[in-house]
Amino acid sequence: MRREPLINLVIILLLLAVPLTAQAMDEPFIVTLATKVAILALAGVGLNIALGLGGMVSLGHAAFFGIGGYMMAVLAAPVQAYEPLMTWPIELAGTKSMPLIWLGAVIAGALGALAIGALSLRTSGVYFIMITLAFGQMLYYFAISWPAYGGEDGIAIYVRNGFPGLNTLDPLQFFALAYAVLLLALLLAHRLGASPFGLALAGARQAPARVAALGIRPYSLKLTAFVLSGAVTALAGALYADLNRFVSPSMLSWHTSGEIMVLVILGGVGRLFGPVAGAALYILLEHLLGGISEHWQFFLGLILLGIVLFARGGLIGTLAGREVAHD
Amino acid sequence: MSAMLLIEQALNGLQYGVMLFLMAAGLTLVFGVMGLINLAHGSLYMVGAFACAGVAAATGSFWLGLAASLAAAAAAGAIVELTVIRRLYARDHLDQVLATFALILVFSEGTRWLFGSFPLYLDIPAALAGPITLPGGIEYPLYRLVLIGIGLAVAAGLFWLIGATRLGVRIRAGEADREMIAALGVDISRLYTIVFALGAALAGLAGALVGALQSVQVGMGEPVLILAFVVIVIGGIGSIKGALVGAILVGLTDTLGRFLLPAAFGTFLPPSEATSIGAALASMLIYILMAAILVIRPGGLYGRV
Amino acid sequence: MTEPVLEVRELHIAFGALKATDGVSLTLRAGEIHALIGPNGAGKSTLIGLIAGSLSPDAGQVRMNGQDVTGQDVAARARAGLARSFQVSAVAPDLTVLQNVVLAVQGARGGSYRFLRRALSDRSLTETATAQIDRVGLAPCRAIPAGDLAHGQRRRLELAMALAQRPRAFVLDEPMAGMGPDGAREMTVLLDDLRHEAPILLVEHDMDAVFRLADRISVLVAGRIIASGTVDQIRADDQVQTAYLGEERLP
Repeated sequence: MRREPLINLVIILLLLAVPLTAQAMDEPFIVTLATKVAILALAGVGLNIALGLGGMVSLGHAAFFGIGGYMMAVLAAPVQAYEPLMTWPIELAGTKSMPLIWLGAVIAGALGALAIGALSLRTSGVYFIMITLAFGQMLYYFAISWPAYGGEDGIAIYVRNGFPGLNTLDPLQFFALAYAVLLLALLLAHRLGASPFGLALAGARQAPARVAALGIRPYSLKLTAFVLSGAVTALAGALYADLNRFVSPSMLSWHTSGEIMVLVILGGVGRLFGPVAGAALYILLEHLLGGISEHWQFFLGLILLGIVLFARGGLIGTLAGREVAHD
Repeated sequence: MSAMLLIEQALNGLQYGVMLFLMAAGLTLVFGVMGLINLAHGSLYMVGAFACAGVAAATGSFWLGLAASLAAAAAAGAIVELTVIRRLYARDHLDQVLATFALILVFSEGTRWLFGSFPLYLDIPAALAGPITLPGGIEYPLYRLVLIGIGLAVAAGLFWLIGATRLGVRIRAGEADREMIAALGVDISRLYTIVFALGAALAGLAGALVGALQSVQVGMGEPVLILAFVVIVIGGIGSIKGALVGAILVGLTDTLGRFLLPAAFGTFLPPSEATSIGAALASMLIYILMAAILVIRPGGLYGRV
Repeated sequence: MTEPVLEVRELHIAFGALKATDGVSLTLRAGEIHALIGPNGAGKSTLIGLIAGSLSPDAGQVRMNGQDVTGQDVAARARAGLARSFQVSAVAPDLTVLQNVVLAVQGARGGSYRFLRRALSDRSLTETATAQIDRVGLAPCRAIPAGDLAHGQRRRLELAMALAQRPRAFVLDEPMAGMGPDGAREMTVLLDDLRHEAPILLVEHDMDAVFRLADRISVLVAGRIIASGTVDQIRADDQVQTAYLGEERLP
């Protein structure tokens, strides 16, 4: 029963060891892959707050991932074009500073999640899945038809944004940054789960009528969790945009929502390190299968099917056994 | 002149709506009867379109292609139900989402493997090509008019099937109470396979019919799937009537929005801005409609909530 | 006479043609146990829903401590001091007994929107919760997930949660349901003691328990209260005897 913390430690150390080794062997591509794992895991940690703690099956988290990505472009593109961000009502310059961009992404993601969550949480179950999916798609179409940030083609930010004291263009340093943010988010998610709020949210997931009868509104709890979840996923989106130095509507597409959800489920829903294990496994599968066949997605689909039908609980569930109650 | 254009756009909206209904009807039945969310419904739409295009290209007959689309989609639906879907009824929605998402990957990549990445083209049958003059002097493509007719006929057929046949009684009983119909001695797993295959056939039919208007390509079913979800949210889960009303509402809103909004903005904005703002807003219009209905009636127009 | 803690005035609700609650008025006064009995389908659960706030009436009022709470939702009424238990146990199955009761303390005190501090490190929460757990006799089960409890233990957990709310009124929906004779006897002792904390509106099928505990009894049939009075008055009431004929004979 106490194997889970050990497994978590191994996973997080492996994620650190792989790029360090790759750097030593002069394989920058693998460092970039590890960075991608860390960022997707961060997006998954965000989704897991809604999905694992709150029991909200959101198939629209690409919306927040994309909002974070586009926030990066909105803030950094004016600098690249030597234009102000806005001139009215106040004159405001864009920024190439990651901390400011992250702040913008977190705020925008939280606001987006507040709007989408406030409407979607009026329903539950299958409705909730369809509605979050639909709102995600709405933003996708908006990004395609709105010409300001490249429309369908997206927009490139040629130079990666900066972080005080680091050279973000160096793959390993950028990895370290993403890894540190992931660790912080994991710590936050861990504290959240054990906090009074986490307790109330778990109650609202398992016995909503009871929680209401105790004087706590499940709707408000879930909406708060959804907003936190959207904010974390938006932060991941901003980092992902910086990894690729490119933003396009595909970040908002429902395939992205599906992928974030798949990697959370692969790792184990509600497990703290589920998204990390899931993201690593997902990227690994993508590259192993991609090396074998051009049609790797076909096999990925079959493997996913096999996992849902026969290996429930995800990777961490399989390795660590039944979840113990949080204490 | 502008009134005629408006009528033409309204007909386009209606045609779009009835095709969405074919998709949404199957989805909503599967939700209602089996409690299953099926993301792979769009793949069955794609299977129908590819079957039609393939058979039509080989035989030269659109009608043989159409028959093939029904058969292929129904068969694909039945096979998927027997091998995968029936293991998911007792699972939670999360497992259903993941499994049917995986099915999309298998279907999409499998189709790409078989047919390649290039879109196929499906010609409108010669007998239905060209325009027809409607009362009032409006010229309108005959094929689109036929699609409206087929869609409405299928809707009528479904209402009859659900309302007046033994299968319909069982479907309604299944929506109300699974245990009861098992107690009535109905073979429930066979009923589920039939309902799933029926929904698949409708999706395949829609894919084939629309395939002749657009191109037939991998991934074509997914935007339609999400619109079908919007239709169901608006209409209410499990309601065929809700699916029909929702589908036509979505079809008309989307088509007329794209037509009218840029023009409306043009009255007070310069043309280029009006076009881009109008188009961007029009692309969001049906979702705004969905949000409005959620605020007024969270269970949908004909939902049982 | 003091203001009733809980008062229901002329409540009506209909589901289609069915008048589930048809002009019900009743009061709950400090220190008493007021039992609500009636045959199955009489509308007891509907009435509880109306009182707790999960249903809103077509007409009539629910008042707590002299305040009209008819327009308030379940959570607001809970914070105003109403604690209810559910007919079918509703506890969070994956949370431990302690966590469930801490949740109840949190609900009463507020502070559910603290994000970073460990709930179980907050001794003011856990001490209050532990005291209630011990009181209902679940001390050995504190760390066990609620889903693993036996049925009778779960009913006690519900009671501990209601106690932890420090309510001004209890509304208990069949707390003895599904309990064996021993369990029911222990529960009767507990409830008897509880009335000093806050008055209890008790819906219960176990007539032995009702007659032992109740100060007053109201009889609900087809959405209406057909009789209300002391135990002896109800026993002697012909109308009540008639209403129960064929279902169960009053002892």
